[in-house]
Amino acid sequence: MFEILEQAWAFNLDRETVFGLVEQSFVFVVGMTAILASLGVILCASPIYSALYLIGNMCCLALLFLFYNAEFLAAVQVVVYAGAVMILFLFIIALLGAKKEERDSSFEKLMGMGFVALLFCELLMALGVGFTRPMEGQATEDAIATVGSAKAIGMELFSHHLIPFELASFLLLVAAVGIISLAKFSYRPIRKRTRV
Amino acid sequence: MIDSVLDFLSSYMFLIVGVVKAGVIAVALLSMVPLLVWLERRLMGRFQVRLGPNRVGPMGLGQPIADSIKLLFKESIVQNSADKFLFFLAPSIVVFTAIVTFSVIPFGEAVEVGGQTIGLWGADLNIGILFIFAISSMGIYGIVIAGFSSNNKYSLMGGLRSSAQMISYELTLGLTALAVVVTAGSLNLVEIVNSQSTLPNFIYHPLTFLLFFIAGVAETNRAPFDLPEAEQELVAGFFTEYSGMKFAMFFMGEYINMITMSALVTLLFLGGWHSYIGLDIPILVFAAKVFLLLCVFIWLRSTFPRIRYDRLMTFGWKILLPIAMLNMFFYSVVKVLWPA
Repeated sequence: MFEILEQAWAFNLDRETVFGLVEQSFVFVVGMTAILASLGVILCASPIYSALYLIGNMCCLALLFLFYNAEFLAAVQVVVYAGAVMILFLFIIALLGAKKEERDSSFEKLMGMGFVALLFCELLMALGVGFTRPMEGQATEDAIATVGSAKAIGMELFSHHLIPFELASFLLLVAAVGIISLAKFSYRPIRKRTRV
Repeated sequence: MIDSVLDFLSSYMFLIVGVVKAGVIAVALLSMVPLLVWLERRLMGRFQVRLGPNRVGPMGLGQPIADSIKLLFKESIVQNSADKFLFFLAPSIVVFTAIVTFSVIPFGEAVEVGGQTIGLWGADLNIGILFIFAISSMGIYGIVIAGFSSNNKYSLMGGLRSSAQMISYELTLGLTALAVVVTAGSLNLVEIVNSQSTLPNFIYHPLTFLLFFIAGVAETNRAPFDLPEAEQELVAGFFTEYSGMKFAMFFMGEYINMITMSALVTLLFLGGWHSYIGLDIPILVFAAKVFLLLCVFIWLRSTFPRIRYDRLMTFGWKILLPIAMLNMFFYSVVKVLWPA
């Protein structure tokens, strides 16, 4: 385990990477905040604060995207997740009334612990596979334009991943239609209808 | 010693320039707010055939100062049932997001000052317009949180209405802005403005302009779309329980959003700092256009009655959004067929 870390450290020292020490520490601080916020989501008793922690977590993720020069992804992360999805969450929590949950140790809690343990195992596995490689070379405007810009992402998405992308959008469409038909048209069993 | 300090400073010049620019933008925006309140009250007075404030100072110009002093010294009441932390957090989110949104608005081309190229903007982002939508969508949280942290039915209703309204109209806003982005071929606001150097966009985009402006008025919660604070139904909407300076902060947020929205319309449709009539003072041209739009905002407020909530939602989802989608589709097809 430790030799991998040492290796990673040596790797970073060897090469001229995009990041300097200052940026590294920024990334570290933001990453830690993201982890703390996600802990807050599951440890908080009141659902409203949980939702707020989740928003904080998403903003931290957007910041991390920004640090890695994926500015388009960062903006989309904020617009879609923090701006739209979480607003709906808050909406529902506010409508249902935010009561504090009681703490209890039940089967669900055990499940949760198991899930956390699984995530940790995954983290260790990722460490075992190897460290993520930073992009080498100077972070010039041209270099950034080929990685994180809206154009680069669009080209990648619509030339290499067109079919999965369209399938995913179709899935979302099906979900939207399903929601509307569930909410708007009341379902009646066939037998009842024939009797009338 | 001094040389080394100067060397250090010159290598971090971008940081110093950035901090100064941020300070200037924030202070200018915050001091614009009382002036705008004064303008609104004066103009509203004229629209309603009365005088408006004219007692304090010349033309009532002292009125906003007197008002802000009054608000600063008012007792700030926090009721017992409120969630204290969220109650204090909400107004600060509103003001913070409003100011940050404005930071990417450019007022003119970059200028050379003492060997430094200084852009007349807080930040020139490649994703400028997306950034504006991202941060302004975060501003909704301030209103929602204000709604439920007050622990008051009227506040909650106001907060929910406002979030529903803003989400609905944000779609139209985004789609119409996208039509302009498709035509200009860039998300960068400076490049969008420069693509209009010969003709402003609203000539090619009359429908887009109209849709964007309607959605923009709804997005800033201004009359006739000021449902969240409908006095007759909801007391004062989401800020019913707020008093003193925290109450004023919601107003600050609203007025700064108004300025940002006017600036955005100017950049996207009116050609930003290009004057087209030979007047070559970028900042003045830009400010004049923004001022004109602000007056239109106030004009709308004093002319139109408030529309009913269900009609507001129907209008947003069943009329504006389909038209905006067709509009976007039309301009994409045009762009593909005639790339120039």
